[in-house]
Amino acid sequence: MIAKDQVRAELIELLTKLAGDWDYEGEITPGTRLLRDLALESLGLVVLGTAIQDKYGRLPFTDFLAEIGQRPPAERDVTIQELVDFVCRNCSPVAAGGPS
Amino acid sequence: MAKALLIGLDGATFTTLEPLMDSGAMPFLRSFARGGVRSILRSVVPPLTPPAWTSLTTGKHPGGHGVFDFFQKESPESRTLRFTTSHDVRTSTIWSLASEQGRTITALNYPLMFPAPKVNGRVVPGGWMPWRQLRLGCHPPGLFDRLKALPAFNPRELSHDMALEEKALEGCAEEDHADWITLHTRRERRWADVLSHLMTEEPADLTAVLFDGVDKLQHLCWRFLDPALRDESPTPWEAEVSRLCESYFRQLDEILSALVERAGSETTVVMASDHGFGPTYDIVYLNTWLEEQGFLAWSGDQGIRPDANREVGISQIARHVFELDWERTVAYAATPSSQGIHIARRTSDNPFGVTDESYPEVRARLVDALRDFRHPQTGRPVVAEVHTREQVFPGRFVDYGPDLTVFLNDDAVVSILRSDRVIKRRAHAVGTHRPEGVFLASGPGLRKGVEISEISIVDVAPLLLHTLELAVPDDMDGRVPVEAFEPEALRDRPPLTTTATNASLVGSPSSPEETPYDAEDEAIVLKRLAALGYLE
Repeated sequence: MIAKDQVRAELIELLTKLAGDWDYEGEITPGTRLLRDLALESLGLVVLGTAIQDKYGRLPFTDFLAEIGQRPPAERDVTIQELVDFVCRNCSPVAAGGPS
Repeated sequence: MAKALLIGLDGATFTTLEPLMDSGAMPFLRSFARGGVRSILRSVVPPLTPPAWTSLTTGKHPGGHGVFDFFQKESPESRTLRFTTSHDVRTSTIWSLASEQGRTITALNYPLMFPAPKVNGRVVPGGWMPWRQLRLGCHPPGLFDRLKALPAFNPRELSHDMALEEKALEGCAEEDHADWITLHTRRERRWADVLSHLMTEEPADLTAVLFDGVDKLQHLCWRFLDPALRDESPTPWEAEVSRLCESYFRQLDEILSALVERAGSETTVVMASDHGFGPTYDIVYLNTWLEEQGFLAWSGDQGIRPDANREVGISQIARHVFELDWERTVAYAATPSSQGIHIARRTSDNPFGVTDESYPEVRARLVDALRDFRHPQTGRPVVAEVHTREQVFPGRFVDYGPDLTVFLNDDAVVSILRSDRVIKRRAHAVGTHRPEGVFLASGPGLRKGVEISEISIVDVAPLLLHTLELAVPDDMDGRVPVEAFEPEALRDRPPLTTTATNASLVGSPSSPEETPYDAEDEAIVLKRLAALGYLE
């Protein structure tokens, strides 16, 4: 399994770079929420998921989104840490570090 | 080396362009049309942005390239749809073919370019690329940061901002029209400025840009653009919307003029649309009709308010999967855009689906029912034509297309929503897609001042390859439209054909078998269709 610290660092770096493009002023941390904090919407999540899979290989991202979609509205969000956990849980060592 | 400039005008039709040229609002386009060759450009089935632009850039019909809609089935038998990406373009493109043969390309704002194909050149994707993630879609690495330094490079206005689109279109409030039109006027200028910069600083052999405001304006403002529908005594608001629409096209004309001048007289310029446009009034609630006919059943109260919980959007994933009672559903319309009906097949996930043995009989029964479908008020047939997928999508990917595709009379549009009536009529016309797009071209070897007979959208890729002095792969459905060229030009350099290999799909990162995340990486996002006016 790929190291969680590495994935966390890479995803925070990626989202920090993206957030810089829309002048987000907060700090990107493991607790940053993709929807409420970064204001991503559904299409944005899909695109982010595609980019993450470009880097880490095929992941069951649709199932991940579907699971979140079933949560009560107040809890319907994803933190970066949850994303890290998801990637590490499903990422094969071969795919990790693949094309970026 | 020969160069080409492809200017895409999404949804452009001579129905609106002709009066604008005649009235003096588009003087450059008028002179361009008069100085070159023009024709109707016949789109594909369905005449829809993703399959049509893919056909233009691959020279193949959807059955040959694999893109049928904004969404794709995960497998031929799948009930689940996912967002269509560049990975679904499963054949060579003009981008990949040119790259493989040493030509450089620049492609701005074309759909299905995310993830960006690894071409020999530059890509800034269009289509449903969210502005916040535009960086992720640019190729090569570093291009986004180079372009970010340009004043025109404002991702929020270049790419899609759902908040802006929803504000403008969901309610279609009168006060939103002006912002919507001026946004697209600014957007086209921004793309043009970015392209002008690249044409100067990083010139390519094949340069392409897509202006999609034409489609956006025509969807919302058709009645202000179609001379046949203009009110003789407009309200002040209607007059203002008409003025803004005309202003958009005047400025688009200036943009076209500047780009063609910058390209130079030795560059072949092709302007093309993915489909045409026309008015529509009637909405046909296809799933409601299927329910009435006994082909479909809703799950409880589902289907009444499909947009009831939109604040996050991810709840929309495979929405129809949750809303239908699969024990009693035989056929369903999954999206309004495809004009298609899917038959639920028996799989491990759906033990109630139609078996292979029953499929021909069920499909034939559905075809008969569609042909008998009558308008509740007029008694006229609702369905003009119904086609099986083998008829309209021949090719390697036929099984990914809808089982049936319908063409509705009176240019009615499909809704997939549950409704208390099968057909409803709008108070005012809105714009919808038609198969007759536009083709205009000018450059070395092309005829001047002629209108040729209708050509197909799949003929554009062969024409561009021939222009770039490249051979046309023999598996393309299209042909070089030789009637567009001067005879002596063809004598000097006849079109060449080569054996298709599809061995290295630079433009499509992987073959179906190699696709690393073909089944689980995207979600259905009907919200976006609603914002575009496709979801009634």
